[in-house]
Amino acid sequence: MTWSWIASNAGLIRQLTLANAFLGIMPALLGLAVSVPLGIACVRWGWLYPPVLSAASAVYALPSLALFVVLIPYTGLSDTTVIIPLTLFSLCVLVPSVVDGLRGVPEPVRQAATAMGLRPLRRLVTVELPLAAPVIFGGLRVAAVSSISLASVGQLIGVSSLGYLFIDGLQRSFPTEIYVGIGGVILLAVLCDASLVLARGLLTPWQRQRQRRRRPGAVVGAPVGDAITRTGHSA
Amino acid sequence: MIAFDGVTKCFHGGSVAVDSVDLTARAGETLVLVGPSGCGKTTSLRMINRLIEPTSGRILLDGKDVRKSDPALLRRGIGYVIQQAGLFPHRTIEDNIGTVPVLLGWRRSRARARAAELMELVGLTPDLASRYPHQLSGGQQQRVGVARALAADPPVLLMDEPFSAVDPLVRASLQDELIKLQSKLHKTVVLVTHDIEEAIKLGDQVAIFRPGGKLAQMDPPERLLSSPADDYVERFIGFDRGIRRLSFVGAEGLTLDREPVVAHDMSAADALTVAEQLTEPWLLVVDAQRRPLGWAAAAELALAARDLPVGDMTLTRYGHTFAVRSDSLRAVLDATVLSSTGRAVGVDADGRVAGVTSYERLRAAIHDSSGCGSPQLAPGRAMPS
Repeated sequence: MTWSWIASNAGLIRQLTLANAFLGIMPALLGLAVSVPLGIACVRWGWLYPPVLSAASAVYALPSLALFVVLIPYTGLSDTTVIIPLTLFSLCVLVPSVVDGLRGVPEPVRQAATAMGLRPLRRLVTVELPLAAPVIFGGLRVAAVSSISLASVGQLIGVSSLGYLFIDGLQRSFPTEIYVGIGGVILLAVLCDASLVLARGLLTPWQRQRQRRRRPGAVVGAPVGDAITRTGHSA
Repeated sequence: MIAFDGVTKCFHGGSVAVDSVDLTARAGETLVLVGPSGCGKTTSLRMINRLIEPTSGRILLDGKDVRKSDPALLRRGIGYVIQQAGLFPHRTIEDNIGTVPVLLGWRRSRARARAAELMELVGLTPDLASRYPHQLSGGQQQRVGVARALAADPPVLLMDEPFSAVDPLVRASLQDELIKLQSKLHKTVVLVTHDIEEAIKLGDQVAIFRPGGKLAQMDPPERLLSSPADDYVERFIGFDRGIRRLSFVGAEGLTLDREPVVAHDMSAADALTVAEQLTEPWLLVVDAQRRPLGWAAAAELALAARDLPVGDMTLTRYGHTFAVRSDSLRAVLDATVLSSTGRAVGVDADGRVAGVTSYERLRAAIHDSSGCGSPQLAPGRAMPS
């Protein structure tokens, strides 16, 4: 480990890290933008889900490098060439999480929403998607972390990322550079995951309180009968 | 008013859930639909707010076919309460209650004020307003469900097994509160349950369904208990309908005996004379305010010192009393059965003894109440089976 190398190349490392972050996060967000409508369609028309899932899995099985090469004639050696395949890969995780999230909305809740006069679109936006959010966030975390690590492969076609440090380090037989690259990817993944956990907490406040349990609220104000036997339930 | 006019519902695959049902829920009354599972009661309920569409027949809400209304708008005018409340887990209690007002375009502040008002009405403390449903007990959640259904003050309330997911104690208190609420609000309520006891307790009218989605009988509860339309209804109501029917007969028709009641300061010798004159084995001893102290046995009076005040003797516990004005013969029977002397104590609203009764008196009162034709019962309508 040559520490002096890190200090003298701090600018390069920062630049590559930011590039890698962009290449990792964009596909997860684009994938989410595609998966939400696709997942909704799969829940609405159940027959759609098996073929969509098979297609997403098939795409996921393709080597990323092969996809980059296929796209070069169309998108050149640009970020887009890396972002498109990684977006497609993320669907394999995100579509099922949207579908599972929506299917996990309790039937009584859905029914109550309908019975109170919410039209389908409003019900979807104000009830079903918020309740599916925790599961969708779970998928998003996996998608973002895996995109961040896959983005480094883009370096093979010249799209800059922390992958540069692996290739350069290998060519120069200089392990420090490789370790720094690995460390950078891990750091990025951890930071990204942490910010998603934070975002989920902010967007789903009812879940936060759920983890604290309901001791104080359970008994306050309950008429006599209520206070007695409710301990095992928490919805 | 809600009227079913020859309503039939067949599901895909041809199973008939509801079979040519005619029934009416009168405005301001509670109609309970009751029957075993799969008898079509819930399907019938859900056809009212168009969660399910009938295959044939019409459902009229205040004379208008519900299928002529936009479903979402129709539903905003009909309160709906389901089992386990179906609250939105991601919304606070006040926002859950304010759902329909917000849909109707109320400002959030007004919807919250309305929510606070309703929480008080259903017996929830204001500190629960900003909590989430999972932080409440099952009984509290069910109260929120009722408040939410009432938020926009709809004239009609549909309740689908609203109390079946809570334990018996909570259920009884929720039932009592619904009765109290209904006496204030006079909504047209249609309630589904599989529990005949609940139906009899809550319903102004009870519609009993039989498997196959047919209506077996629709009548006021006391009429169902006194004249079930057929064997099915009788079996469904259960073996002790004779005793349960007594719930609908007030205790005021019962003859009370005032003679076997003696003051606590009467001497044992005088009390014994009273007992011998009445040929009563038991005398009820009361205090200066005529509140019951206990039973004195004639046999023990004979053995006691002549001057001993009866209030100082060892008395037999009097057990439950019954309120002459407000209790039913069922409560009197219960008090009599549980009393070790075979006699029960009737009290007035202030708890003062009005008189005592015995099996013989009770038998006469029951006999009077069940005379042929039952003239004191409301006329009902037996449905063809």
